[in-house]
Amino acid sequence: MKSLLRQHRYALVVTLRRLWAQPISSLTNLLVIALALTLPLLGASFLISIEPVARQVSLTPELTLFLKTDAANGVADKLATRIREEHAGQIVKVRVIPKQRALEELRANPAWEQALKVLPVNPLPDAIVVELAPGDDLAKRADQMAASWRTWQGIDIVQLDSAWVQRLEALLRFGRIGLLLLALSVMLVVLATVFNTVRMQALSQREEIGVARLVGATESFVRRPFLYLGALTCSLATLISFGVAHLTLAPLNDALAALARTYDTEFALSLPAPSILVVSVLIVAALGALSARWSVQRNTRF
Amino acid sequence: MIEFQHVFKSYGQGRNILADISFRVTAGEFVYVAGPSGAGKSTLLKLIGGLETPSRGSIQVNGHRLEQLSARARPYLRRSVGVILQDTHLLYDRSAIENVLLPLTVTGLASDVARARARAALDKVGLSTKENTPPIELSGGEQQRLAIARAIVNRPAILIADEPTASLDRETARRIMSVFKDFNRVGVTTVIASHDDALMAEYATRAFKIEPGKFADSAARRSSTATTQTSGPGYQEPQIGGAAR
Repeated sequence: MKSLLRQHRYALVVTLRRLWAQPISSLTNLLVIALALTLPLLGASFLISIEPVARQVSLTPELTLFLKTDAANGVADKLATRIREEHAGQIVKVRVIPKQRALEELRANPAWEQALKVLPVNPLPDAIVVELAPGDDLAKRADQMAASWRTWQGIDIVQLDSAWVQRLEALLRFGRIGLLLLALSVMLVVLATVFNTVRMQALSQREEIGVARLVGATESFVRRPFLYLGALTCSLATLISFGVAHLTLAPLNDALAALARTYDTEFALSLPAPSILVVSVLIVAALGALSARWSVQRNTRF
Repeated sequence: MIEFQHVFKSYGQGRNILADISFRVTAGEFVYVAGPSGAGKSTLLKLIGGLETPSRGSIQVNGHRLEQLSARARPYLRRSVGVILQDTHLLYDRSAIENVLLPLTVTGLASDVARARARAALDKVGLSTKENTPPIELSGGEQQRLAIARAIVNRPAILIADEPTASLDRETARRIMSVFKDFNRVGVTTVIASHDDALMAEYATRAFKIEPGKFADSAARRSSTATTQTSGPGYQEPQIGGAAR
């Protein structure tokens, strides 16, 4: 066991020495792999950051019924009662927002305060917010109910609040597939880069490999430094890509924060959780080692 | 012990480099392989060292049948055979001691023990003062001695050398042969291929003559007395610088 550990330590030392012996070449390889890895990492950061927003909104699918502005007092309550009676199994909650309360809530927003002051009368209608029961056929049910309510006396507009969320979810699905394809492409770039790096190293270490075999080195002993080279290069490149992604996200987040403030909310892009980052380092390192093994097997047959 | 039984060796579909070779070398012998260039001397040594496999026939080295030995097991056999090829195959970007350490490193020996053994091996070939010198700064004779130190550091039972004195002057060649003889004295079976019949005649106890299509096993020039060790570590503290014979 000790002997095996010593051989691994030797392989690691040899790997570091070889990396150090060609600093420019090693650094270039690291940067190529790191930059390639940064792209899917940024994509993942975007998707991971935006998904909770979509999930939070889509968990409360709502329909908002705006009454005609000239609707009499009490009409909203009557319609709310009718909705509760006719769609008891399909809804979770119905609440009425009187036009006066809506106006007060709007006045509380500094962006609207000045505009509302110049209006002579309250332009807002009474509204009924219907929270729908979740289910697989939610979109279809919502469409049917909206179509039905639009025909009711006193209803002006029926707004399906979850429509944009559905579009966002469709975009996210598209993004996830795109990210997967991007990750696969980057994986190929990483594999090819490591393969070629190891190939060049194996050719330049031809003499050393020959001597090692001559004095009784096993094939595992010969291959081990190259496997370390692949794994180490990929691990370091992944860590560098975290740094690059972090630096890229900082100015993006500044711009996003300014945009989010105009919507009176907060939003920021962040890197995936540390546990995911650790797993990604291990996966990329394993890929590097596999590519190195393939390369060294093909390029040391002499 | 080395035993060849009806061994043939050819490359691809080409002619036989070696054809129907049979001989037996007992432990502790000093054998000289003679023959013109291209006769197959180097191939014969590579077969003994497990660096090549026979096309036909059977080879036994240290109790292992080479043709039955798996690729995975072959490196372990190589550790018991010290090989010095015509080109010394030294690593010129490493120091002398790092070259000698390599066979010990592949076995996973502790670094302090390995370093002590490497120093002892360098001392035995008279290079103790050059341990940090890269091979490129050593003379031809010193490079040969360094290759010998690397070959014997694992304490092999068999030592094979291909033209170890080819490019050396007479005096240096004799010094190199003395080193071989010292190891042979303590039981290391030694097989050397060379063109230099006169020099080899001074040291070897037996000669093989290889010519295309022919193989002759001469009578021993002097009876072999080095049969004390038949297995296990090859050498035990030989004295360098003593009489060659």
